[in-house]
Amino acid sequence: MATTRVVVDPITRIEGHLRIEAQTEGGRITNAWAHSTQFRGIELVLQGRDPRDAWAFTQRICGVCTVVHAVASCRAVEDALGITVPPNANLIRNLVHGMQFIQDHVIHFYHLHALDWVDVVSALSADPAGTARVARTISPWPNNSETYFRGVQDRLKTFVSGGQLGVFTNGYWGHPAYKLPPEVNLLAVAHYLEALDWQRDVIRLHTIFGGKNPHPNFLVGGMASAINLDGTATINAERLVDIQGMIRRARTFVEQVYWPDLQAIAGYYKEWAAIGGGVPHFLAVGEFPEGGVNDVDRLYFPRGIILDRDLTRVHPYDHKLVKEYITSSWYQYAAGDGVGLHPWEGETKPVYTGPKPPYQFLQGLDKYTWMKAPRYEGRPMQVGPLARMLVAYASGHEEVRAEVGAVLGKLGVGPAALFSTLGRTAARGIETVLLARQMERWLDQLIQRIKSGDTKTFDGSHWEPSTWPASAEGYGYLDAPRGALGHWVQIRDGKISRYQCVVPSTWNCSPRDGEGQLGPYEAALVDNHPLLKPDQPLEILRTIHSFDPCMSCGVH
Amino acid sequence: MSGTREAKLSLAHKVPPPTGAYRWVYLWEWPIRIMHWLAVAGILTLVVTGLYIGRPYFMTGGEASSHFLMGRVRFAHFTAAAVLVMTGIVRGYWLFMGNRYERLRALFPLRRRDWVNLVRMVKFYLMIRPERAPHYLGHNPLQQLSYTALYAITGVMVLSGFALYGQSDPGGFIYSATNWIGPLLGGMPNVRFVHHALTWAFLIFVPIHVYLAIRADHLERTGVISSIVSGGRFVPVDHHFVDE
Amino acid sequence: MSLPSLEAWAAEETLGQRLQSKGVSRREFLEFCGKLGIVLGLGSAAGPRLAQALQALKRPSVIWIQLQECTGCVESVLRSAEPTIGNLLLEMVSLDYSHTLMAAAGHHAEAALQQAMKANQGKYILVVTGSVPLADGGIYTTIGGRTAKAVLEEAAEGAAAIVAVGACAHWGSVQAARPNPTGAVGVAEVIKDKPVINVTGCPPIGDVVTATLAHFLTFGALPATDSDGRPLFAYGKRIHDQCPRRAHFDAGQYVEVFDDENARKGWCLYHVGCKGPATFSPCPIFQWNGGTSWPIGAGHPCIGCTERNFWDTMTPFYDRLPDVGGFGVERTVDILGAALAIGAAAGVTAHAVATGIHQVRERRKLPVLPPDAGKE
Ligand code: HEM
Ligand code: HEM
Ligand code: NFV
Ligand code: SF4
Ligand code: SF4
Ligand code: F3S
Ligand SMILES: [Mg+2]
Repeated sequence: MATTRVVVDPITRIEGHLRIEAQTEGGRITNAWAHSTQFRGIELVLQGRDPRDAWAFTQRICGVCTVVHAVASCRAVEDALGITVPPNANLIRNLVHGMQFIQDHVIHFYHLHALDWVDVVSALSADPAGTARVARTISPWPNNSETYFRGVQDRLKTFVSGGQLGVFTNGYWGHPAYKLPPEVNLLAVAHYLEALDWQRDVIRLHTIFGGKNPHPNFLVGGMASAINLDGTATINAERLVDIQGMIRRARTFVEQVYWPDLQAIAGYYKEWAAIGGGVPHFLAVGEFPEGGVNDVDRLYFPRGIILDRDLTRVHPYDHKLVKEYITSSWYQYAAGDGVGLHPWEGETKPVYTGPKPPYQFLQGLDKYTWMKAPRYEGRPMQVGPLARMLVAYASGHEEVRAEVGAVLGKLGVGPAALFSTLGRTAARGIETVLLARQMERWLDQLIQRIKSGDTKTFDGSHWEPSTWPASAEGYGYLDAPRGALGHWVQIRDGKISRYQCVVPSTWNCSPRDGEGQLGPYEAALVDNHPLLKPDQPLEILRTIHSFDPCMSCGVH
Repeated sequence: MSGTREAKLSLAHKVPPPTGAYRWVYLWEWPIRIMHWLAVAGILTLVVTGLYIGRPYFMTGGEASSHFLMGRVRFAHFTAAAVLVMTGIVRGYWLFMGNRYERLRALFPLRRRDWVNLVRMVKFYLMIRPERAPHYLGHNPLQQLSYTALYAITGVMVLSGFALYGQSDPGGFIYSATNWIGPLLGGMPNVRFVHHALTWAFLIFVPIHVYLAIRADHLERTGVISSIVSGGRFVPVDHHFVDE
Repeated sequence: MSLPSLEAWAAEETLGQRLQSKGVSRREFLEFCGKLGIVLGLGSAAGPRLAQALQALKRPSVIWIQLQECTGCVESVLRSAEPTIGNLLLEMVSLDYSHTLMAAAGHHAEAALQQAMKANQGKYILVVTGSVPLADGGIYTTIGGRTAKAVLEEAAEGAAAIVAVGACAHWGSVQAARPNPTGAVGVAEVIKDKPVINVTGCPPIGDVVTATLAHFLTFGALPATDSDGRPLFAYGKRIHDQCPRRAHFDAGQYVEVFDDENARKGWCLYHVGCKGPATFSPCPIFQWNGGTSWPIGAGHPCIGCTERNFWDTMTPFYDRLPDVGGFGVERTVDILGAALAIGAAAGVTAHAVATGIHQVRERRKLPVLPPDAGKE
């Protein structure tokens, strides 16, 4: 049978510049390459800078997960300088990061992922009454009325008849892989629009604590937003009430719109529970410290490693066992391109060896991407919501076990279904539901602390460079929406001498290593993966989007 | 010898030293003298207020509305800045209108002989063959050089100061006249840095300058200090000066 | 801009007709135009003029390309909180190409771009986020196998106006910070034959982007800019001169360290490195995320993100003065200056002593004054 070469570039509805190349045979993908085509060199820019500024630089690695690099950076520098942030600051960071997760995941589902499953054009032929019926069976969301859906459909009709489809132009509408009935398509389109307004409201939590979003402000040693209930320019009662409202609205939307929609849609695509599993190892560094960053036993999402899909054992994680390889990447190491380097010894020396643009193909080249290849004890690892939920599940996290059990039951599938494209998308939903609840608890804790008279948000004992050791090293971990993140910093004479980031998308979008092991995107695309029409790569988008790629993050 | 000692301590105004044949030479006309002392007052004010602006080392408490400390300090800074600029303008004008000691040619080391003499002056202060030092009535080459440098630094202070000042009224005259400075130095923060750093030049110059003036007065007993007050000094009748 | 939307209008329909069919009253519309006039710094009196221009408007095409960047600017625009009627106007642009939001990928996405450029040749608004890496033949960012530079040049060709959104598109932002490993530059350094307006910030406030677009839509021309190409209506004033904490600055009331008593009183952040005195931005007036707050409002000093080269000139962020040249001079300049000043004072004292000794020695050799001194 003939092999077809496929190129999808740009992969849209993601952050950054990703190119997927593949080979297909008889409607199946036989080989795949993930190429990240943007490099910025932020690790190099950081050298020689004040470590207290690093959070702002690294934050600009990504404007989508705009919180995570800033916090990881603060933690790395705090680790190096021996700073413990006050409990209030830890809670505020949890709230800010928690809202980041919720907003990021919902946006991902509706605006980046949904069009892989939802046929916008098919929604035109829906019966709005039917949509309302479906909607009412799955959710008490008050907007879900027939009139409402009819209104959306009317707008959609004018839009399509106007001839200019805007962002929906050239979609793969009518592709046989779309399986939703028109009524469910209409439901999703309506909520696509609603989610746009919703995210704008709930993200204001960042603005209150950090002054803006995207790119709210952070501070090594705590948070800059002082608490004074009687102040006008501080976190006061009015601000706290506003935050409470946002958290409530976030939870309601997640529970009544996002999560029911996700499950309803998943029900029509159960075959995707056996597609795109890929790399069988999973890493979660854990997140949402409830007793301070060093108390790793009190992370709301626990830390650990799952090997070979074996959910009976959770292996411990030791950051010293992380190494980055560049066998297939456009970099050079001083000790040769075959070695792996721990980030504290990490090097970033870009050396492009690819073809001169414009180019047609990158597949088959020894080096083919800007992404490095992190490996844990030599193994590629999947990171992200699925890794987190698996580790939590296997560690006996009660809430996670309950939710996972409920979804599997509803879809009528076993735990093996989790190792798939659908599993990644479902895990994202599960953790959003859990977090939306947990946010209320963190806010309560913060309010209780303030009530008891503790308003401290910053520890300045090691703020002044004169209090720093001449030489220090720090590691900042954080499990970001897209997975395990680490920042490693080296400080010499008050300045950053080395800075390395290993990012969720670096793990997931990593290329082949010296052993020839594929990275998670690549491995998922060749794991029982269909591609009906090589010129309409809808299935590739499904699996790639299920990882929620972020290329600016991955390469930086 | 007791008379001599008295003479050494004297700040010799128009009273001739009680010895030898001296003549009175008129060096610094009144505009120069007045401008000098106004500039001294201005610069001292600018340094003190500038250092406060750069690092507000004390604060006020209570309601903001009942205080205006930084406001006043900045006001003083800008007023002194205006005085300094005025003295600069008059001095600039006098470069062309003044006497031979005050003119452009006397102010900058422009001639070959000045550069030769510069070396001798340095040796003089290092007390290496001090007797070979050239004698100037006006500014000797070392003074020329240091004053020229000081004028240049003052110029940079004024320009950077106005560039900073102009920021609060973009589109205004000062802004428009100075908005080439920021890009030239790579951004306004660098302008601020230059303005801040060069403040130290004054704090370094002043002690040296004052010391040398007193020293010259003490050694030469010819009223060098008073020259910037009274305008002139006494010199031996038969002595020839480089710049005479 | 609320993107994307379903608010298309028919090909030859004007905004006036469209609003009418949507049941927007004349009074509401005029009110909106008045507000728009204020935002754009034209005063509410410009309302009727704006209304007239807007009513005749036909559906404009926007092509948004993303080069070397972090997507923060796109996210910021997604957060822009317009009054509903403003939304109405801005939702109606046809967003014909958007990497972040478009359904199609790969060849289909490229085709959509080509179609949109062809159909609206000479008429579309080109929005650019991200910088252009020029080093090493532009290989640090490629899209569809082509360099960012090639993509930009092609898209700029037929554009009626180019709006560079964000610090990256303005001058390169973080990737252009020292040592700028990829040779990143802003849009205006590549496109020289067309005016480029810089709606800057890292990211800019979404509403400033939409207001700039509204200006172009209403007047067919970009708003007036400062010498760095930034629209004056937004970047015409310093933060420091619009800051609610300014009264504390003038009074001499400063936060000395974060979370001190003064921070809890909301005092001025000058001493902890606030760059408001060097930054032109509308943050205190527009505020962020629907007027919720802004950096200084949340207790953190401004880092100067709307100024060219701010990653180098405004750092260290918590010091008032920049780290010139990256050698750490800034922190030592005062120490150095003080040392030199003290050294000068000590030097002159030592010199005075040496002079004294020298004098005594000389005097032994020859009389300083004629023997008849004091006898005239
Ligand atoms: C001998 C001359 C001068 C000295 C020693 C001096 C010193 C200083 C110093 C140390 C600062 C604080 C800089 C910082 O750390 O941010 C300052 C600020 C400033 N100076 Fe000067 N300055 C001088 C002349 C001038 C002149 C001629 C102007 C013209 C208007 C001026 C205008 C300013 C302004 C606008 C500021 C910033 C104050 C603010 O905006 O809050 N200065 N000066
Ligand atoms: C901020 C402090 C001062 C500054 C910036 C300053 C600056 C200057 C400058 C630029 C000149 C050259 C005059 C001209 O040709 O325009 C000068 C001359 C002179 N200054 Fe000052 N001065 C300062 C303080 C003083 C003080 C305190 C004294 C007295 C103890 C003094 C004594 C003199 C004398 C005697 C001359 C004339 C020297 C000569 O040319 O022989 N100055 N000063
Ligand atoms: N990958 C990634 Fe991020 C996340 N989540 C980073 O740490 O998206 Ni921009
Ligand atoms: S300007 Fe800042 S926020 Fe915008 S894309 Fe560039 S780095 Fe991101
Ligand atoms: S907080 Fe910043 S901008 Fe505001 S008054 Fe103080 S220095 Fe100026
Ligand atoms: S950092 Fe940027 S967002 Fe505004 S307050 Fe300063 S310009
Ligand atoms: Mg890295």
